[in-house]
Amino acid sequence: MNLKKLTKKNETYLLLIVIVFSIVINTINPVFMTVENIFDLLRSSSGTAILAIGVFVVLLSGGIDVSCTAIAICGQYIAINVLIASGVDNIVMAFLISISVGLALGAVNAVFISIFNLPTLITTLGTSSLFHGLLLEFVGTKAVNVGNIPDSIKAFGKMNILTIARPDGTEYGLSIFFLILVIVVVVTWLILKFTMIGRGIYAIGGNREAAQRTGYNIRKIQFFTYCYAGLLAGVMGVMHLALIRYSNPNYIVGTELNIIAAVVLGGTRISGGTGTLTGTLIGVALITILQKNLVLIGLSSYWQEFFIGMIIVLGVTITYAQNKINARRKLSIDSV
Amino acid sequence: MKIKIKSSKNFTLFIIMMMIFILLSIVMPSKFLTGINLQSMASQFPEFGLLALAMMMAMITGGIDLSIISISNFTGVIAALILSGSMDSSTPAGVAILFAVVAVVAVSMVCGLLNGLLIAMIGVPPILATLGTQGLFLGLAIVITKGHSVSGFPEVFMGLGSGTVIGIPVPFMIFALIAFLVSVLLKRTRQGFNMFMVGANPVVSKFSGVNNTKVLINTYMLTAVLAGLASLIMISRVNSMRPGYGTAYLLQAILVAVLGGTDPDGGFGSVKGLVMGIVILQITQSGLNIMSFSPFFKKFIWGFALLAIMVINFLLHKYNEKKRIQSMTDMKKAAKAG
Repeated sequence: MNLKKLTKKNETYLLLIVIVFSIVINTINPVFMTVENIFDLLRSSSGTAILAIGVFVVLLSGGIDVSCTAIAICGQYIAINVLIASGVDNIVMAFLISISVGLALGAVNAVFISIFNLPTLITTLGTSSLFHGLLLEFVGTKAVNVGNIPDSIKAFGKMNILTIARPDGTEYGLSIFFLILVIVVVVTWLILKFTMIGRGIYAIGGNREAAQRTGYNIRKIQFFTYCYAGLLAGVMGVMHLALIRYSNPNYIVGTELNIIAAVVLGGTRISGGTGTLTGTLIGVALITILQKNLVLIGLSSYWQEFFIGMIIVLGVTITYAQNKINARRKLSIDSV
Repeated sequence: MKIKIKSSKNFTLFIIMMMIFILLSIVMPSKFLTGINLQSMASQFPEFGLLALAMMMAMITGGIDLSIISISNFTGVIAALILSGSMDSSTPAGVAILFAVVAVVAVSMVCGLLNGLLIAMIGVPPILATLGTQGLFLGLAIVITKGHSVSGFPEVFMGLGSGTVIGIPVPFMIFALIAFLVSVLLKRTRQGFNMFMVGANPVVSKFSGVNNTKVLINTYMLTAVLAGLASLIMISRVNSMRPGYGTAYLLQAILVAVLGGTDPDGGFGSVKGLVMGIVILQITQSGLNIMSFSPFFKKFIWGFALLAIMVINFLLHKYNEKKRIQSMTDMKKAAKAG
């Protein structure tokens, strides 16, 4: 790709910010740029990235989904409770249960949005409260401690696809979580690039009216979008469980705005139609580095909220100011 | 046509409100219909009622304000620090309270101005702008207090949140006054009229000579000031302030605004409907409390109610539309026959 094209891309700037930021952190604390820390970052952020991809697809279609975190925790908590109650100790089973819960709850969103045509933000705010309330009321409120977590899930959390030995003989490695993320990225990319539904997601996000007249089935596309986001949330639920080896029905919920922030920082337009997977992944990287590494440069964790808010405000300000300037430039050329 | 739908919407709300009230009064008259319960209900809702008013105003202009709770937290922390500081330095309570109120209004106006500038000048969608500033303001509140809570205020200040005058709770009177002022603003002033115009169709309003930028900036400053006032009632009622307090109010504020007939797409909403929405929410909440339902069940109920209301609105709209088309075709047929 030539340089001129690169300088016009949002992702290039974002990547530059991430790189500069990493260098700054690294000069203050050289622990940051070690392979071990990067592998660790990949392991802990893969789940967030998968959730973000779900939100990304929804945003592309011109909607928004703030219930994804509630769906993820529902999938996780129901899966772990079923596994413990039935005595089945199998990671595939955990994924199956969590994904079916995710799909079902995603379908609930889909019904409200595609059939009743309700505004997406308010619908998903409502379903988020509905799902989480149901989970706490009817499934339980007790956290599952590490002692009660089935062995297969713990083993899955420690599984590596690549191991490197430290000088002292102990080992560290690249977690299997990263492989799942790669699979999700490839599948999502294939869907968006090569299927009618994928092209339709871009189309209805860009111009709903035009997409409808072109013959896209908007209901079907929206239905797919929210179910897919639910499915990914289900996957994330189990990954989160294997990561922290603890299940609290109040976890994950409340982080949805950070996830949306990551996607939006990645250049996805909130009104739909524009955005890339690469941008989303870089956005997640930026938010993760901010969240996990402020401590490395000696800032207390209570600065976190402030910095993330700051980054979102700056990010969207730059994007929309740019849009405004571009629009004005176009107008002035047209009028000449 | 529109007026008819509007009045019928408020009428439906009124019926729902009365039905819930009568139902609860019949089922448990000894617990629900008591002076103490009515009084406690009237002192509970004002803080989030003000937030709901703010949400409604943002929605009328076609936007949304996700940062109101964070603004409340931020201004609440500032007021709490001023008030508890005055206890140590033995400043007269009156001076401290005046100072705190001025600080709250000033800070919230600055917060609102930031929202307004982002939205109106730079053109950031309201949901994104306020999503960012939500983190920013809450972050500031956390940074200032280092995450701890602030408590210990002058005795007089507690009257604001928990005092009563001839049996009527003070927060209720504050809410009534502000709701009245907002109603006047929306119905009788140029700013109010323009807010509806911008919400209904920003392009048309711009070409009709409305200064959209100014209207939006004013709107977000007003919502922020309402959030600031809510924080004063909040801290005086619970006698302390902790950043992160009241996050559940965000969903409830949106719920009440939509329940009260505000159109989330902009251009429509009324204080009358909103107040009825608040009353419905509050008496249902009180009823659920008396029947000792868990807070989780309430969470479920709020989500369910929000969705149910919107589905009903959708079906009603569809039904009205169908009837309108039906009557038009009938008229045509009649004209042909005649």
